[in-house]
Amino acid sequence: MKGIEFFRNVSIGQYVDSKSYVHSLRPSTKYLWLLCLMVPGIGASSYLGAALPLLLALVAGAAARIRPSFLLRGVKPILPLMVFIAVLQFLFSWPGDDSGVLFALGPFAATAREARLVALAVIRTVSLMTIVGLFTATTSEGESMHGVEDVLRPLGRLGLKPQRLALAVGVALRFVPIIAGELEDIAKAQASRGADFGSGKGGPIAKAKAYLPLFVPVTVRALERAEAMAEAMEARGYSEEGRTRLASYPKRRGETFVRIAALLACAAIFAIDRFVQGL
Amino acid sequence: MHLIELEEVSYLYPGAASPALSRISLAVDEGEYVAVVGANGSGKSSLLRLLDGLRTPTEGEVRVASVSTSREEGRRAALREVGLVFQFPADQIVSSSVEEDVAFGPECLGLPREEIRRRVDSALAAVGLEAAKGRPSHFLSAGQQQRLAVAGVLATSPRCVAFDEATAMLDPAARRSVLGLMDALVASGVAVVHVTQDMSEAARARRVLVLDSGRLVFDGSPAELFASGSPRVGALAAIGLPDWGTLAAMLGLEMLPLESPDGLAARIAAAYPAPRAGPGPRGDSVRPARVGPRPREPGADGRGSPAGALAFELRGASHSYLAGTANEVRSLSGIDLAIPAGKLVAFVGRTGSGKSTALQLLDGLVAPTSGKVASLGVDLGGRSVDLKKVRTSAPLAVQRPESALFETYAADDVAFGPRNLGLSGKALVARVSSSMEEAGLGYEVFRDRRTRSLSGGERRRLALAGVLAMGGEALLLDEPTSSLDPATRRQVMDLVGRKAKEGVTVVVATHSMDEAAAADFVAVFSGGSLAALGNPEEVFYDLYDPAWEIGRPFAVEVAIALEDRGFHLGSRPLDLRGLAAAVGASRRGAPPETAAGRPSAGGAEDAGRLR
Repeated sequence: MKGIEFFRNVSIGQYVDSKSYVHSLRPSTKYLWLLCLMVPGIGASSYLGAALPLLLALVAGAAARIRPSFLLRGVKPILPLMVFIAVLQFLFSWPGDDSGVLFALGPFAATAREARLVALAVIRTVSLMTIVGLFTATTSEGESMHGVEDVLRPLGRLGLKPQRLALAVGVALRFVPIIAGELEDIAKAQASRGADFGSGKGGPIAKAKAYLPLFVPVTVRALERAEAMAEAMEARGYSEEGRTRLASYPKRRGETFVRIAALLACAAIFAIDRFVQGL
Repeated sequence: MHLIELEEVSYLYPGAASPALSRISLAVDEGEYVAVVGANGSGKSSLLRLLDGLRTPTEGEVRVASVSTSREEGRRAALREVGLVFQFPADQIVSSSVEEDVAFGPECLGLPREEIRRRVDSALAAVGLEAAKGRPSHFLSAGQQQRLAVAGVLATSPRCVAFDEATAMLDPAARRSVLGLMDALVASGVAVVHVTQDMSEAARARRVLVLDSGRLVFDGSPAELFASGSPRVGALAAIGLPDWGTLAAMLGLEMLPLESPDGLAARIAAAYPAPRAGPGPRGDSVRPARVGPRPREPGADGRGSPAGALAFELRGASHSYLAGTANEVRSLSGIDLAIPAGKLVAFVGRTGSGKSTALQLLDGLVAPTSGKVASLGVDLGGRSVDLKKVRTSAPLAVQRPESALFETYAADDVAFGPRNLGLSGKALVARVSSSMEEAGLGYEVFRDRRTRSLSGGERRRLALAGVLAMGGEALLLDEPTSSLDPATRRQVMDLVGRKAKEGVTVVVATHSMDEAAAADFVAVFSGGSLAALGNPEEVFYDLYDPAWEIGRPFAVEVAIALEDRGFHLGSRPLDLRGLAAAVGASRRGAPPETAAGRPSAGGAEDAGRLR
């Protein structure tokens, strides 16, 4: 039998507490690396170019003492999505696609170009999930919140309020476990009244239908919880003017070098991507 | 000068027909300890929000430190001087780490970093959470979360801390610890305003305010409130008296504002000079007769029940949440438990001791990580097990089941379950109406009421009606009476008792030992293991271990204190009525009529109101 448990598959927001050098870097440095790996991960057009960020993330993960299996775990829940993308690619053909047909099934044909696009999509998705997984495994919720504030501080002169944005990020992260918990409670309440969750029966449409009665109460509960939290924040004297911060992130040794390395890595991946064209 | 003053204050929620509060005048001084009591919807929470500056009165004036909250600077001052702790622990935690959460208030005040650090450390030390400093806040227990909320308030150095039913969601031990924090605050000169539904908590304060439908009907000391014959106690009907008051009234003794079981036992022993004839018949002493191995299977020894069929069986069942991840938490380890059919069984234990997980295992909502679970004769480990059938024959009402209501109209929501069972037409209507009637919601009156317009107590009963409508052979209820006022609590427990009498196997998780004492069997969970199992008499008299941190029914505490004074009761009462009967019987020197008169759980409170 299978129980109802939603928390287990929430890999985003699972911070792994450790004293490693990677963990101790400033949040703004981690955001820089996140950006410098994600941009080539999305933008590279070769297999190697899309896979290199993944490789670097796994190396950084090893330096942060995080097992590759932990980082790759986030890929599992989106496997069906990838299969769906692959099916779509093969079902519809690209206009002017004159690459060779690999195999045909009735009116549908899989061409070399389609196969290449599917492979690229898979590599990209795995890369991105791993990079994000590495970021959340090495950056606590508080750090991701303060990182936003630090990164956006220069924009404060343009009238943007970095503290407000940072708080929005912090509260959003705080709500991940809250919503997962509410969802689980409500699913359990309805499953014991005969709704089909985790009983492993019925087709995909029946399964999707079973989730419909969840939306209303989960949305209502999310709004109620948000209202309660807003009230609690106000009661604790929430203010935007002249707010100070407890957390401070002193510069680590070699931090400047680590930041330059991020930019160099990004540039190098794009250079390699261009050089190996097609590979 | 008063710290807080209310002058002719009324408050009307936007769009509401009648005011939540009308013409309230009162003052709270520095360092005072004030309790506010009243039934659900009497205006207690609105009052706190006015004191705190979260809301401003529609009429009249609230002044905090002499400044009116109708002015913005007065409102800010009120928010700063009066800290507020809410009922639901998790809702008031704004940060993902303990330390960051406490820092939120001081950060908003714009204090320098060193000062924030100092305040965070001292606030965490004051509530005893230093060790949890760097932990993610959502991994704390409910009791720890509530202490964290208090720390977050303390860090802003308020002159008054207001608690809005802050103990209602906590287990007895966590409750005691939060009450202890209140005492410590008062001792350090900070005023405390405590809103509660529990009269025994209110009696700890030096002053009690009673609200009734938005009006202040009493303002005075607990002693004055409990003084017999006071015409104002009529407003107390919905809340009832504290246990010691009820018992004193039953025995014709003077009611004291605050009294320990031991103190009351001393007065009873003095007032009822019983014949000291040694232990009663059959040597039935209330002193624990230490038994050998703790019984694991009620009925196995022939005492509890005729060796009938088992409704549920756990064999070496263990369960871990987040199994296989870095945050794996073991919630149950190696539970052996057999629940006979047609009995009322109470699961008790601290929050996090495994009660809820055990209920969900029985219902097939969570899968055991190891061990066996059999539910109504079905082995849940089987590969082709029909989980839907198991879940619907033993439906579970989760904690606060009203959260899961989703239909617009009341009757539609109740119909969700029966529809899933394939009922329709007349059979469906019959099932829905009978379950609503059972839950005390008249079908004709409530069927077309909007779910969201119902009161908290009505929504709880509607959710329970939805579970009753499954018509299962068993009912699993997870804290069905939590955060209800005493009147609604009684209605729900009466319903539970009725179902058990009809032959339905009922398993109830509860923090109320009075409710547990009314069950056929009590299973005590402690740290994920089954610490004891037996009938209430065995559990509370023979097997009881303070390390469980669950407390005992007040009547049991008094009975044991009486025995310690050489006052032999001749029986082992479990509730106040039984205790009063036993005291009366031993005075007459006659054996009591019943061994342990066990009327309904609400019996004691009923008697209190009958005075």
